[in-house]
Amino acid sequence: MTIARANAARALPVFSIAFAAIYIASVNYNLALLTYHPQLGQWAVLVDPPKEGPAMYWYGWLLTSALGAGAVAALSLALPARPVERASAVLVWLVPVAMIALIGYILRGYFLR
Amino acid sequence: MITFLLIIHSLAAVTLLGALTHQTISVLWPARQRTGSFVSSLRSVPSMTYTNAIIVLYVLTAIVGSLVYPEYRLSVRTTLHDFRLYGPEGAFELKEHMISIGLGLLPAYWYYWKYAGAKEQAATRTIVTGLLAAIVWYGFLTGHVLNNIRGFGS
Repeated sequence: MTIARANAARALPVFSIAFAAIYIASVNYNLALLTYHPQLGQWAVLVDPPKEGPAMYWYGWLLTSALGAGAVAALSLALPARPVERASAVLVWLVPVAMIALIGYILRGYFLR
Repeated sequence: MITFLLIIHSLAAVTLLGALTHQTISVLWPARQRTGSFVSSLRSVPSMTYTNAIIVLYVLTAIVGSLVYPEYRLSVRTTLHDFRLYGPEGAFELKEHMISIGLGLLPAYWYYWKYAGAKEQAATRTIVTGLLAAIVWYGFLTGHVLNNIRGFGS
């Protein structure tokens, strides 16, 4: 394991933290970079309203989150290693748990009808 | 084709569930010494060797699931809506988002198993592994229940 590789790897927890947060923001504000129309078998760039049948934004949300989290992770390499590692050790599970709770709250309408 | 993909999705999910449950038990409840009993064997699996397999299985399950997903949106979800089965519909929506968050968690999971110090990051590694296991268990059970309500090809 080279030092450079290990140093770059510390951005991985940052990616996961950012991914969870950006994903939920993408869902809540519909920030999809892609839309799929399953009835037509067609893809569209960015958010495209339903045409025939439903429009699927899930693939687009994943792409938005992956690109956004990649950018945040890359930027985190410019920060001092030790504080980032310490914060990441807690935020890496706390943020996903909080985001799952938040999405449960957003979806509460399904369970309260 | 959809039925074939759904079977592959299910088999990959079962394998993932088994591997991740083994790993989670071995980190939450490690065996001090192996006595030869089933429980002791379950607790003393070499956890680290599971990591890459779990990541490959998670990604495989998610990819096949994403191929089946349009069919769910067109036929299964419509049926759930028609019958006002909002609880199962919401449970699947939650599954979709939890699995996505789990997918994003994989790089950190890999990092805490492969790179981080054995002792200093042990708690984080355990929590991340447990969280991933909870996500996979929720996804598996929800998918199973949904498939029982209105399976593909029915």
